Amino acid sequence: MSETLRPVIGQAIAIFIALALGTVVIMVVGESPILVFATLLEGAFGSTERIAGTLLQTTPILVCGIAACISFRGGLFNIGVEGQLFMGGFAAVIVGIYLPLPAGLHMLVGILVAMLAGMAWIAIPAFFRARYNANEVVSTILSNYVAVLLTSYFTIFLFKRPGGWSETAPILPSAYLPELFSFSRLNWGLIIGLALAVAVQLYFRHTSRGYSVSIMGQNLKFAEYGGVDIKRHIFLVLLASGAVGGLAGGIEALGVHHRFMEGFAPGFGFDGVIAALLANGNPIGTIGAALFFGALRSGSLLLEVDTNASREIITVIQALIILSVSAQILMRRRGDSTAAERRWKF
Amino acid sequence: MEVLERLINVAMLVATIRTTAPILLVALGGSFTTKAGIFNIGLEGQMLVGAFFAVIGSIFTGSAWLGVLCGVTAAVTFALIFVVLVVSFRANEVVVGLALNILAGGMTISLMKAIFGTRGSIVGHGIVGLKPVHIPGASDLGVFGQLVSGYTPLVYVAFAMVPILIVFYQRTRLGLHIRVVGEKPEAAEAQGLSITRIRYIASLLCGVLAGLAGAHLSLGYITMFTENMSSGRGFMAVAILIFSNGDPLKVLAGCLLFGFSDALALRLQTFGFPSYLVLTVPYLVALAALFALAYRSRPRIVRETVDSMKRLMRIEGPPDAGAGRRNES
Repeated sequence: MSETLRPVIGQAIAIFIALALGTVVIMVVGESPILVFATLLEGAFGSTERIAGTLLQTTPILVCGIAACISFRGGLFNIGVEGQLFMGGFAAVIVGIYLPLPAGLHMLVGILVAMLAGMAWIAIPAFFRARYNANEVVSTILSNYVAVLLTSYFTIFLFKRPGGWSETAPILPSAYLPELFSFSRLNWGLIIGLALAVAVQLYFRHTSRGYSVSIMGQNLKFAEYGGVDIKRHIFLVLLASGAVGGLAGGIEALGVHHRFMEGFAPGFGFDGVIAALLANGNPIGTIGAALFFGALRSGSLLLEVDTNASREIITVIQALIILSVSAQILMRRRGDSTAAERRWKF
Repeated sequence: MEVLERLINVAMLVATIRTTAPILLVALGGSFTTKAGIFNIGLEGQMLVGAFFAVIGSIFTGSAWLGVLCGVTAAVTFALIFVVLVVSFRANEVVVGLALNILAGGMTISLMKAIFGTRGSIVGHGIVGLKPVHIPGASDLGVFGQLVSGYTPLVYVAFAMVPILIVFYQRTRLGLHIRVVGEKPEAAEAQGLSITRIRYIASLLCGVLAGLAGAHLSLGYITMFTENMSSGRGFMAVAILIFSNGDPLKVLAGCLLFGFSDALALRLQTFGFPSYLVLTVPYLVALAALFALAYRSRPRIVRETVDSMKRLMRIEGPPDAGAGRRNES
């Protein structure tokens, strides 16, 4: 009993500490913490439209979080979800504009191409990680910068909408990801994300390859002795993770923006990575974490209207949560922490 | 040929030295943690808070050097949080480093809004920048004079740190201890060294140099702070540290490569290449270098460990204290 409760209590304490620190930060910035938290809640859940807005923000964080979860499960860090999202979104928009297909099929092809683009974007870092042990944390972070600059270049210099400013032409309606309600841009992406979270969880629980990956994530040496082809698995895990990152971009492009522009989806990739960390790499837990961060994001929009605090105050709160959780995580499995740490060294 | 001449000339070399300085400072800072066996992805955030608080300090004290001090203090604070969580709480270093980077980004923007009511950047407000140093008599030396004189002070600090760190790692007790802790923690323990204490020292020293790097960004050639102005230099530094293993000379070589690609990118823009493409050059160079040199890092660590162990035995240890351990592994 106490063994199962301890991690939950630990996580709760960590979040409490983070919120307490967040309160101090808000006071330093010169705002009333009660007002800020109330405004955040109001902005996130104050009306049906706002709840839909929260879920709209939750969707890309959730899908990016699942991408990160897949890599964490294999003991790898794909911090490049942001870049895969940009590449996926851009590729989907190109398909959406230039490849006229029947409705439905067009959307599916767009989503598929987005996933392929995300996969292609991580392929080189994944290959060098698998084959030569080149640190994937750094290579995926650096490729984020390249992805953002490259898609901006394509958008502005090659595919700019005539008369528009740093955005492409709109995609054809046949490529739209259908919306769920008439009053919001909330779309089927949320359903895809939820289904994917369950599917990934089941995959890791109930298939032999999923099990191999989990073992590899927990203990590389053990997996190697057990006959797991480590190099192949590292490569495939990162490719899968990149594909899901691309999917997140495809959903944003075909479901929300219907075009590509500069600053397409700021920070969703990073929020997803943080959500996955908070959920300790569990896809189902990531649903909750993504909803939490989606609510913070959605609430922060009102925060900027109603108070003088900037919306970045929520990234401060997110970072504080991760910091306090990170200290907790290892307190409850002190025994194997050194083995786990060594794996992530270069 | 003419294009080459226009591309590579004295101005280009001077530009390279200028753009190398911040990344060299932060990478040399990271060399402390790398040598002590900590993977420090948090350099980016330390540099960013360094840049921000250097500007704040400069505005409120009216002195550039007190601004630098503020920047360094902020970066050291971040380094302290990092090492407390990583060493004392045994948190994962990647997770803590990333969270601190995110914290740095959000915090600087929030504080900017709270203090100045603006988004984007802090310009004016009476920021006092660091004055360029003109070496007396350098103007008589022609081209060479242009190369060595007229930089802001932290550029000289950056390049001076390279020989200082070489001596530090080779000849001082603390430098040796840092290396042993990183390469063979078991041996360090057998020698009675406190791994915790050494890692704390290494991380705080790292914070000092990362803070200087940040201060150079915001008070050196440009006297302003902009959102996320470290723009990945901390991550490039980590890439350099991975393939240089923190050795000061190799760090310098790597940083010069990036300084050159940075300067080249700036220059290519004047030739009419689109800035979006040109700005990818330093990141691509970092990636290419990381991949190309990836396979070489491992064997070297083992070899150096044996060397430094021998040296440690000779200098202070009882001859057989660490030897048994070494044979075990």
